[in-house]
Amino acid sequence: MISFINANCTFRKNAGVKNLNFSIEDGEFVFLTGPSGAGKSTILRLIYMDLFPEKGKVLIRDFDSTRIRDREIPFLRRKVGMIFQDYQLLKDRNVYQNVALALYASHYKTREIKSRVYNILNQVGLGHRVHHRPTELSGGEQQRVTIARALVKEPIVLLADEPTGNLDPRVSIELINLLNKINKKGTAVIVATHNYSLIQRVPGARLIQINEGEIISIT
Amino acid sequence: MTILWFLFKEGFKGLIRSKYSGAFSIIIIAISIMLVGFGYVIARDTLFMVENIRAQFDVDIFIKQTASRDDIAAFDAKLKKMNEIDHLIYISPEEAAKKFKNEFGEDIFDILDYNPLPPSFTISFKPIYRNLISVEAIANILQSDPVVDELKYRKNFLIILEKYQRIILFTVLGIFAVLTLISIILTSNSIKMTIFARQDIISTMKLIGATNRFIKIPFVIEGTLEGGLGSLVAALIIYGMFYLQNTYFQSFLDYTVVVSYRYYVALLILGTFLGWIGSRRAIRKFLH
Ligand SMILES: Nc1ncnc2c1ncn2[C@@H]1O[C@H](COP(=O)(O)OP(=O)(O)OP(=O)(O)O)[C@@H](O)[C@H]1O
Ligand SMILES: [Mg+2]
Repeated sequence: MISFINANCTFRKNAGVKNLNFSIEDGEFVFLTGPSGAGKSTILRLIYMDLFPEKGKVLIRDFDSTRIRDREIPFLRRKVGMIFQDYQLLKDRNVYQNVALALYASHYKTREIKSRVYNILNQVGLGHRVHHRPTELSGGEQQRVTIARALVKEPIVLLADEPTGNLDPRVSIELINLLNKINKKGTAVIVATHNYSLIQRVPGARLIQINEGEIISIT
Repeated sequence: MTILWFLFKEGFKGLIRSKYSGAFSIIIIAISIMLVGFGYVIARDTLFMVENIRAQFDVDIFIKQTASRDDIAAFDAKLKKMNEIDHLIYISPEEAAKKFKNEFGEDIFDILDYNPLPPSFTISFKPIYRNLISVEAIANILQSDPVVDELKYRKNFLIILEKYQRIILFTVLGIFAVLTLISIILTSNSIKMTIFARQDIISTMKLIGATNRFIKIPFVIEGTLEGGLGSLVAALIIYGMFYLQNTYFQSFLDYTVVVSYRYYVALLILGTFLGWIGSRRAIRKFLH
């Protein structure tokens, strides 16, 4: 489903990622780990094509980083859900509207939007927070809103960049359990983190370790 | 349908959400439209005034004393056929004497025992021929007619008028162009600020797979609404100012502003257009 083929993406002074060769299949749970600056975020950005490799290529289903056109990128993004450490929710609208936005952008019908949004909010345990603004929610709740927003359009893979970065250990574990539950339903999940304690929480997850832009071990 | 309704609502809500920066854009657009609106009326009335002065230009054609009544009648018919001529007055020697008395207060027959004043025609030209080149060309033709003794017109009047009219025209057009340009830049920049304040929407939209068009449309709708509202404010203020001028200061300045409803409609269209163009220009920058 996702393949990196000799992919290189470097910024100035050699920083970046080099010679990446790996594949991720449908429904897998993958941890990307490594010290700060190793290139975890860079790999995720290559997957949702916010960055492009200057050498080699990245394939996501039918999307080829060397062939994709600018106006096709939104269609890739509809297949790839993303969540971040800093949530990136819109503060001027409530939970429902934040999640529904993703469906409006993908041209769903009003009736379908409503049932899907309520359904997904219940799944992430936010059925009682529908009309709250992001500022009225805890960090863990906000992160669950972003998960709902990423999942509502039924992506093939969910990318999470340091999703527990701003959460306390207990909430972090809840969150990783939620991601595990989502993965069990069939969505591939890729989590970039340097929090090794999370990894043990998902038995059977694959582990890709990166250091200074290169893969040093892969399971 | 869902999508269009959503985008329209987004644009409308955006206007409300943007609060100060949205209000600021509306004010900027209102100021721009007022500049252009007042600029237009001032330019139009200045040029109209100059044209009025020009309309006073006429040529006196003095007929030879030796010309017979038939000669004069034939010449009169010839003048009437010339389509450059707008207006034509025949002044007989008797009328000339009367005019002389009116102007100088003395009867010509008290000074001389005969009437030395020749018959004459006073002609004025249609607007497009009221310029030096046409007037001189026509004068040459008329001068060659055997009944014509002499042609008199104020050549300097035309030369000066043409010089000033050109200066006025270019100044007015220049100011107008600058005002329009300023309003486009002001509008586009203030809308850019509105968008800048909400860049998070754009990056989030990109993240969730919105197309550029989907991201753009609400901002363009918002900008267009701002344009419409701004020009509405401007039109109301201009209407008020013209009303004040015509009701309270009319006699003071000896000037009445006359504009039709079409003028206000044009301002509204212009403002809406400005908001539309401005927001399209502005959003483009943020979609790289
Ligand atoms: N836009 C950029 N311009 C220049 N260098 C960059 C840019 N983005 C990342 N880098 C560099 O690329 C390397 C990898 O960065 P990346 O963000 O992928 O690391 P990371 O593993 O996600 O780190 P962290 O755990 O701190 O998030 C770093 O050395 C970083 O400085
Ligand atoms: Mg990172």
